[in-house]
Amino acid sequence: MIVSLQDVTKVYTISQENIVTAVRGVSLEVGRGEFVIITGRSGSGKTTLLNLAAGLARPTSGLVLLEGVDLWSLSDRQQSLLRNRKLGFVFQFPSLLPSLTTLENVGLPTIFGTNHRGQSVNDRAAELLDLVGLSDKLAAYPRQLSAGQQQRVVIARSLISQPQVLLADEPTSNLDEQTEKEIMSLFKDIHAATGVTILLVTHTSQLVSYGTRAIQMANGVVVKG
Amino acid sequence: MNLIRLATKNIAGSAFRSGVVFLCALVVAGLSLSTVLLIRGAQESLRLALERLGADVVVVPEGESSRVETALLMGKPTTAWMPQENVSKIANIPGVAVASPQLYLASLANASCCSASELFMVAFDPKTDFTIEPWLKRKLGHELRLGEAVGGHLVFVPEGEENIKLYGYFISLKGNLEPTGMGLDQTLFLTFDTAQDVARISRTRAERPLEIPANSISAVMVKMKPGADAHTAALDIIQKVPNVTPIESPELFQAYRKQITGLLRGMLAVLGITLVLSLVLISLIFSMAANERRREIGVLRALGATRVAILQSLLSEAAILALGGGAVGIVLGALTTFLFRDLIVRSLEMPFLFPSLPSLLTLVGAGLIVALAGVTLAALLPAFRISLQEPAIAMRE
Repeated sequence: MIVSLQDVTKVYTISQENIVTAVRGVSLEVGRGEFVIITGRSGSGKTTLLNLAAGLARPTSGLVLLEGVDLWSLSDRQQSLLRNRKLGFVFQFPSLLPSLTTLENVGLPTIFGTNHRGQSVNDRAAELLDLVGLSDKLAAYPRQLSAGQQQRVVIARSLISQPQVLLADEPTSNLDEQTEKEIMSLFKDIHAATGVTILLVTHTSQLVSYGTRAIQMANGVVVKG
Repeated sequence: MNLIRLATKNIAGSAFRSGVVFLCALVVAGLSLSTVLLIRGAQESLRLALERLGADVVVVPEGESSRVETALLMGKPTTAWMPQENVSKIANIPGVAVASPQLYLASLANASCCSASELFMVAFDPKTDFTIEPWLKRKLGHELRLGEAVGGHLVFVPEGEENIKLYGYFISLKGNLEPTGMGLDQTLFLTFDTAQDVARISRTRAERPLEIPANSISAVMVKMKPGADAHTAALDIIQKVPNVTPIESPELFQAYRKQITGLLRGMLAVLGITLVLSLVLISLIFSMAANERRREIGVLRALGATRVAILQSLLSEAAILALGGGAVGIVLGALTTFLFRDLIVRSLEMPFLFPSLPSLLTLVGAGLIVALAGVTLAALLPAFRISLQEPAIAMRE
């Protein structure tokens, strides 16, 4: 298993009276090359589950393993390097740095230590932008791009380090129907072309058809899949 | 792309925030440098002036110490008289090595017979003088002859003329002393013989004659024997020489020292308040910026940035702004102090000597360190706090 969550619980203490259990006792095994789509209503705990799988949130209890390694037994440096080299992220919100060009945004993770096997960062970033259909926008700034184009740049950025796992949190929630289809097709194409493991969270249950496996969450637990 | 380039891109991307931090660094560094320049300039000026006078005790007529000090300090012409016989009385005090008399004279203001208006003139006795004579021997290789004089750093022969005309008498300027930043820079030094000659000629050629009362002097410069106590000698002078005030070297310009100390304390207080306010403002700005950029920082952490890398990135931004603002502030501070040094001297009534280049470069370095350390320190806490945050929480709205 490439990603393994064992009896994971995540509790957020907002105040003494307001304690939220976002994920409770979830166990999940994701095999290499799977395209898992996690669905559920708002507040069902799917984004928290994704953050736990990525090591972006520390579980209150339980174990999170990536390729058999307990993420929370690693130092901050080791954990960061692991995220940098093995994980790719696509977020729901605009996550491009406004002061960087498209090309610079795609190459951004490399400043934190990605090894490119000899290929120059700019060449690889340009290649990825070509893959997502934005080869003519290398010098553009995020503000000059549409929401759909920005999300394509984020997808290109997530692939710069040739990750083992791609984690996408509601990547189409801010897009119109047509662009949503285009982005989901892009994920499908990337999965088919690279065999990368994908964990994609969405509240739109119709999108499960793009994946190889569907998981449904409600009230912090997996109810199906 | 690297962390420094990322920091510069972020700086360029948030013009207002960067501008405020840049301005704070500019003010802190500029004000620090100007204050230190003024403090050092005043201290150096006093030190050089005391060194130039070279006297362990200066004896002046009773009640005239303030005027004489003002004349020496600010070059404001004055006259003061006491009997010449005081010189031998002072020379006989135990421990006194040399007692050298001086005459304090003033040129005429706005008179056609004087080409230098409001000039303070000090006449000395070449046989006993230890203030000007060593300089003359070192620089000119001979004593001043009749009709010759040397000037402070700012004394010059009027354009188109060969001599300085005083009381209708033509004085040949043989050289200028090194700058002290004090009244000595605007003082003309001549021998007793020349002073008497000027007084004689002035009776026929000047609008008003130069009056030097017979057998009178203005002050006595006292040099002590090695190991002799100047304070004991000063007490002896009070007892044995009537109607004079001995001023020991450490007490010389005491009123001005107090005035300068008070002024400088005020300036340091203003500097301290500015520094604290700037640091608080910078800290607030960085706190706000860190808060605004929580999501961005969460994204960077997700992309593989360590806590240290986040800290480095935020502190790099602070350091770049500090160095940029600090450098501009220092240039402006040094330039303003240099260009307005005369105005500062006049309005604050304090001596001032602009420091030498090596000294200035040291102060510039110190100013940059102050700006860099201040801004970085102010940015440290918010940067540290945000770097510790869990990425998932940082990315949440």
